[in-house]
Amino acid sequence: MDTVTLTIDGREVTVEKGKTVLQAAIDNGVQIPYYCYHPGLGIDGSCRVCIVKIEKLPKLQTSCSTPVAEGMVVSTQTPEVVEARASVFEFLLINHPLDCPVCDKGGECPLQDFSYSFGPNESRMEFPRRVFDGEGVRADVDFGPTLMLNRNRCILCTRCVRFMREIDTDPQINIVDRGYGSEIATFQEEGVHSLLSGNLMDVCPVGAITTRDYRFKSRPWDNPDAVDTICTLCEKGCNTTAWLKAKPEWAKGARLIRITPRFNPDVNDYWMCDIGRFDYRWIEGDNRLQKPLLRSEAGVLEPTDWRNVVGKVADRVTAAGGPSALGFLVSGHASLEELALIGRLGGTLGLREEGVAVGWRRREKPQAPGAKFKIPPVDAPNLMGAADMGFPVRPTSSGDADLAAFRGDVEAGRITVLYVFDPGPEGTLGDVSWIVEARQSGRLQHLIVQGVLMTPLAAAADIVLPGAAWVEKDAAYVNEQGRLQGAARAIAPPGEAMEDWQILVNVGLALGAPLTYTSSQEVRAEIAAGLGDNPRYAGLAELAFARPTAAGNWLKTSNPSERWKWDFMFQDLPPVKFVGKPGATSWMNGIPLTEVE
Amino acid sequence: MEPVLTRYIREPNSYTLDFFLKHDGYNGLKAALGMEPNAVIDLVKASGLRGRGGAGFPTGLKWQFVLKDTPLPKYICCNADESEPGTFKDHVLMERNPHLLFEGCLIGCRAIGAKVAYIYIRGEFFHVQKVLEAELAKAYAQGYVGKNIMGTGFDCDIVIHRGAGAYEAGEETALIESLEGKRAQPRIKPPFPAVSGLYNCPTAVNNVETLCNLPSILLNGAEWFTSLGPEKNGGPKLFCVSGHVKKPGTYEASMSTTLHELIYGHAGGIRDGHQLKAIIPGGSSVPILLPHELEIPASFDAVAQVGSMLGSAGIIVMDETTCMVWAARNLLYFYKHESCGKCTPCREGGDWLHRILTKIENGEGEMRDIDLLTSIGSNIAGKTLCAFGDAAATPALTTVKHFRPEFEAHVREGRCTVPADWRAARTPVAH
Repeated sequence: MDTVTLTIDGREVTVEKGKTVLQAAIDNGVQIPYYCYHPGLGIDGSCRVCIVKIEKLPKLQTSCSTPVAEGMVVSTQTPEVVEARASVFEFLLINHPLDCPVCDKGGECPLQDFSYSFGPNESRMEFPRRVFDGEGVRADVDFGPTLMLNRNRCILCTRCVRFMREIDTDPQINIVDRGYGSEIATFQEEGVHSLLSGNLMDVCPVGAITTRDYRFKSRPWDNPDAVDTICTLCEKGCNTTAWLKAKPEWAKGARLIRITPRFNPDVNDYWMCDIGRFDYRWIEGDNRLQKPLLRSEAGVLEPTDWRNVVGKVADRVTAAGGPSALGFLVSGHASLEELALIGRLGGTLGLREEGVAVGWRRREKPQAPGAKFKIPPVDAPNLMGAADMGFPVRPTSSGDADLAAFRGDVEAGRITVLYVFDPGPEGTLGDVSWIVEARQSGRLQHLIVQGVLMTPLAAAADIVLPGAAWVEKDAAYVNEQGRLQGAARAIAPPGEAMEDWQILVNVGLALGAPLTYTSSQEVRAEIAAGLGDNPRYAGLAELAFARPTAAGNWLKTSNPSERWKWDFMFQDLPPVKFVGKPGATSWMNGIPLTEVE
Repeated sequence: MEPVLTRYIREPNSYTLDFFLKHDGYNGLKAALGMEPNAVIDLVKASGLRGRGGAGFPTGLKWQFVLKDTPLPKYICCNADESEPGTFKDHVLMERNPHLLFEGCLIGCRAIGAKVAYIYIRGEFFHVQKVLEAELAKAYAQGYVGKNIMGTGFDCDIVIHRGAGAYEAGEETALIESLEGKRAQPRIKPPFPAVSGLYNCPTAVNNVETLCNLPSILLNGAEWFTSLGPEKNGGPKLFCVSGHVKKPGTYEASMSTTLHELIYGHAGGIRDGHQLKAIIPGGSSVPILLPHELEIPASFDAVAQVGSMLGSAGIIVMDETTCMVWAARNLLYFYKHESCGKCTPCREGGDWLHRILTKIENGEGEMRDIDLLTSIGSNIAGKTLCAFGDAAATPALTTVKHFRPEFEAHVREGRCTVPADWRAARTPVAH
């Protein structure tokens, strides 16, 4: 790696050649504010707040657009720079409504945080502010099915414009009009229609673009816990952070309050899709399975307890008349641990190879052909893992799960007890109406469903075992690239629902399998031992899972490359002010108290 | 000085190809085609020709910077987006002498190795565009533009592109963006257009008047050209004198002519019964000069020495009836209206300045507003992406600097104290 050594504020730093002064500063903990710069987007150089003094250059330079050079001497704190920067902040704020108390970005707003650190203490603007669509809440206008736009708050950094142009490659957003009247707009106010639209909220450095999902739902200080995890809604496995709202267990409402992308240059960069971002409300929704259910003699599904239901599962399987009458339909959402246990179970029972099938759903996601962030069509996080574990992952020519033979066995009554493992959101197992039909017509005698939602499939079952969604258990998955990743337990499963590995261990024990696992970690260790020669699983035994972390410590526990995000969300910059009192810092240090005389 | 560029503009048919050919037309190009491209650049360098668009950057040097060692095509972009208030020289050249511009474009292309020149013409110059297009068609038909020019094997096209009406499109990188079909907003420099310009290819952006000077340099040589003006400010120069003079208009003169001579000689002096109050020597975006500062040559260097700029040589003359608050507000209205809005200080600051000036002009100003003007002005200047920010701040800064008592009087009296004529007395435009 070619490196360049330069001096920033008297400190010698060495960075990769080709980086900009701003990147060099961020990498080395020198604080320079920025708005139009985003590490995942092209350089614009338009917001002007990152200006610094570079020796031998007559004018102040924008650090975001100046490449580092050997021996360059940069200063970010000389009076000239501090004053110039403050003046740009004054310009940025003269038309920005100071409605932070009601703005969704408030508390995690770069404009707020950087202004406190670098801006002037007061504005000299005395004229009415620029208003686009109306004052106050009237300024919030539709910006497509997922977003709202508030043009009064916009500082025209054009990150959203560049995101759509460069990453989505369907440039739906641009600026209309010019100069003082410039406004962010879509053609004929149609709004943004893209599966990547949620990222626009992430890149927006002010509260101009908010998501309909999260707006008015919580404040940053109300969701103090964050858990680094992954998304399992498709085979991409985007790295994400699950945000938890502080709430007593008995209080109404959800704990999981939003999901945001987490930087991973190898998987998802800075982005995630709207499906992963917005399809989480079911996890704490009313349709979750909270208790084991058993079909009574009257034909009604009634709640029961675990001890009873596990015994009943064992009875049904034993009564089925041998392993040939037993079938397992496993969702592509099954984690490595769950697959291993199902494998052990099948081994104990002497299950035929044709008695196991893996199902998934395939949906083409409508995206611009050149999109830099592609959402894969298969909605299953672990097909690669299932194949490695020896499960029959059989796609048809169109990429769907080929279940024809398995379905034939069920519909012909050759399989009399069907155990369906379906821990994903509704529909991700693919079409299961044939199972419901087979059960209702009596060709299938017993249907056991281990799942998370009261789907038509669960409703048709004789026994329902309530499992956990991906944010409720520590589980390992292998994405489409063959990358082993772990989804962490951010919240507990609802009611009496259990982590799926536990359910499978209990069922196995009831069936007489010699299972001695007391944690999912032990299951992983065994898989790792079994797949030891496959380098993909080298890290499996020691796979670490994040725990809910106080957002303040989040950066420290998180990957160091997360620095950029911290810059976004939790600014904690030392005040560099050119006038006024010291002591104004972001909320992270607590609210600065003024002594009362 | 005998006019060079505008010698024939008063002849009825000066714009036609026939007329042009009878008066040395395309002979400069012929000479250039007989030379090595580098020799053309050297000749232009030796002539010391400086860009006539405003910055006065040596043209030969600009061409030399155009990346040679590249498989990419190279382009000449002619900046015909003449929109600076007080400037109307390129307009005359294009309307009355279009072939001179074509010849200049072709010489430029020859020098840097371009196969096409784009003439980016201001959106409002509809009638000029018509003349250019008609004459370009004739030049194509007679083999002066296009394939195998004058049988020499040199191929070069000229494309006329009309802008959509934005002052900012006159900034060279914004012009390139606009030419590419994007919003006319400036790019970050570096890279400069000479390295990565139109379609990310090496590009030279030259002003109309600059290119029009080339044929005569090729014909008469560098020495002749330098001899026409003071050192480093050679060649003929067009001056646009406007405002309170008897004969406003475009005048061709040497840059050794004094500003005083241009105003009192060429333009006939201040209108009767009035005295000169101030001039803006280089289009609306340069600092004001006062009557006692006019005995200097109207050259790039001499005007810069007294703290202003020759710029586009649009000399705006104001007599004692001009209210300086009004003048500043008038100009700021232009700049806030024309700001492209890309970068913060210019977008936000221009409007702020305009609002404060309007407030003062309306008699509602406070004394602190005057300092605020200076402060905002200097906060904009030097912090923007392109030179527009400096241009927008200048009218406010320079009027306050030279005519502060007038601002104070406005604030104190709550009205204009200048014996202003009808314009200054008019109700201000609402912002």
